[in-house]
Amino acid sequence: MSLFAFLGTLEIGFIYGLVAMGVYLTFRILDFPDLTVDGSFTLGAAVTATLIVLGYNAYLATLLGTLAAASAGIVTAWLNLRFNILHLLASILTMTALYTINLRVMGKPNVALIMEPTMLTPFEALGIPAMYMKVIFVAFCAVIGGLLVAWFLNTQYGLAMRAVGSNKRMAQANGIVVNEKVYVGLALSNGLVGLAGALFAQTNGFADSTMGIGTIVVGLAAVIIGESLFSTRSILIIVMSCIVGSILYRVAVSMALNADFLGFQASDLNLLTAVLVALALVFPKLRREWKAKKAKGERA
Amino acid sequence: MIRCENLHVTFNHGLPTEKLALRGVDLTIPSGEFVTVIGSNGAGKSTLLNTIAGDIESTRGKILFSDRDVTNLPATARTKDIARVFQDPLAGTCGNLTVEENMALAYGRGKKGNLSFALNNKLRKIFKEQLSRLNLGLEDRLSAEMGLLSGGQRQSVSLLMSALQPSSILLLDEHTAALDPKTAALIMDISSQIIEEKQLTVMMVTHSMRQALDHGSRTIMLHEGKIIFDLAGDKRAGYEVKDLLQLFAQARNDGEELDDDKLLLGE
Repeated sequence: MSLFAFLGTLEIGFIYGLVAMGVYLTFRILDFPDLTVDGSFTLGAAVTATLIVLGYNAYLATLLGTLAAASAGIVTAWLNLRFNILHLLASILTMTALYTINLRVMGKPNVALIMEPTMLTPFEALGIPAMYMKVIFVAFCAVIGGLLVAWFLNTQYGLAMRAVGSNKRMAQANGIVVNEKVYVGLALSNGLVGLAGALFAQTNGFADSTMGIGTIVVGLAAVIIGESLFSTRSILIIVMSCIVGSILYRVAVSMALNADFLGFQASDLNLLTAVLVALALVFPKLRREWKAKKAKGERA
Repeated sequence: MIRCENLHVTFNHGLPTEKLALRGVDLTIPSGEFVTVIGSNGAGKSTLLNTIAGDIESTRGKILFSDRDVTNLPATARTKDIARVFQDPLAGTCGNLTVEENMALAYGRGKKGNLSFALNNKLRKIFKEQLSRLNLGLEDRLSAEMGLLSGGQRQSVSLLMSALQPSSILLLDEHTAALDPKTAALIMDISSQIIEEKQLTVMMVTHSMRQALDHGSRTIMLHEGKIIFDLAGDKRAGYEVKDLLQLFAQARNDGEELDDDKLLLGE
């Protein structure tokens, strides 16, 4: 892999690290499988890119993009909590609606950000080559995001949210208002994913209506890879392992695509992703079975 | 003080499966009294407890805590006054949080959680002290995952958790039923200690006649959603398990059948 390709892999890895944290919040902390992220990633990018093109400050545009994505999470939570729509289905509904909303926000299938001022523009004066600068910038965003998420989950409020995902009855008996935690959790999760979308648009120079497809699977892959690497109870390490998992996932994919003898093409990405996630999901179970078999053999 | 006035609860109202779970319960429990609640399956014992806790909405009647009407308060708002221990040892704790995290949650019961750290060394010291009362060695396993503990250990911790935050009412719903006799005795022991220490108003549902007579100062029997028997003072002191069994038999002779005779036997 060339240095340039490697830096690109890192850059995407860090950005999707934020997605992975969002997915971790819903799938693992709240036990609420949320597919809204496919739409909210694009929404974050679309709102931010559109506002930047309209002349808004890039930081303000990113903030608004993030908030828009967070509100998408609230819609999903509302459909689920208020109307008892199954969480998966509620999130698919929001995701489907967002496809149209994203097109409306942009007014066209994609918005180019080439030559527009982005969050990175103020740092160009430092004189660091752009390809390094981008990686440093997104790495900084991902790590700060991770620290904030880990801090939040260790606060009284965050612990209450973890209790809601673990045992609703216990949470309630201890005075925790369950629904409120689900609303806040989904807003945070989708906000993180929207922020990732906004960063993606600014580092890659465009927002596109199809850029969010498969976001959930990539995020989940990163979470699972991270989990299988570190077995720990420390929230900080678990959250940071989302970033590591995301980068490793990108490295694995780009190696598979670049290995000529395998004969993969760029269009094979989704199949590769699905196989990779399936393997990561199956592996821990197989390992347990092997161990159990081995232990049985030793006893006999 | 807990007061229930003409409390009615109906499940599946208006459907063929409609069930009148509580049919006019009038009950006053003065502060500091320990009441044991007995009755056959489906008599409404758990329904009564869950209605007082706010998990189940009453269809008619009133619930008051020390003259404060809480009938329309949601369960979470009542947790300022009520601590609970469930029958299922897994229900009272979070399996994938650590022992100290579970205790921190209970420590914050009824308060609004803020953005300060949930755990700190001062709290850990309190939790350690509390856990050492159990003599189970749990004080050295603060950061162990709750799910790794046995059912008895989890129930012991649930019990300690119920007392971490001052409350006036403790609701015990067959909290020793799922445990082996030795652990059950330990849990009952600690319960009594805590109740005495904190001067709690207690309702304890139990299937064991022995337990019902040995603990507390008053015993009520529910049948078909009504209190059919209220025993206290000297009269109760003279009661034996067989006398209670006779009362059960009487209730049955009134034309309503009990589901399972085994439930009537004491330990």
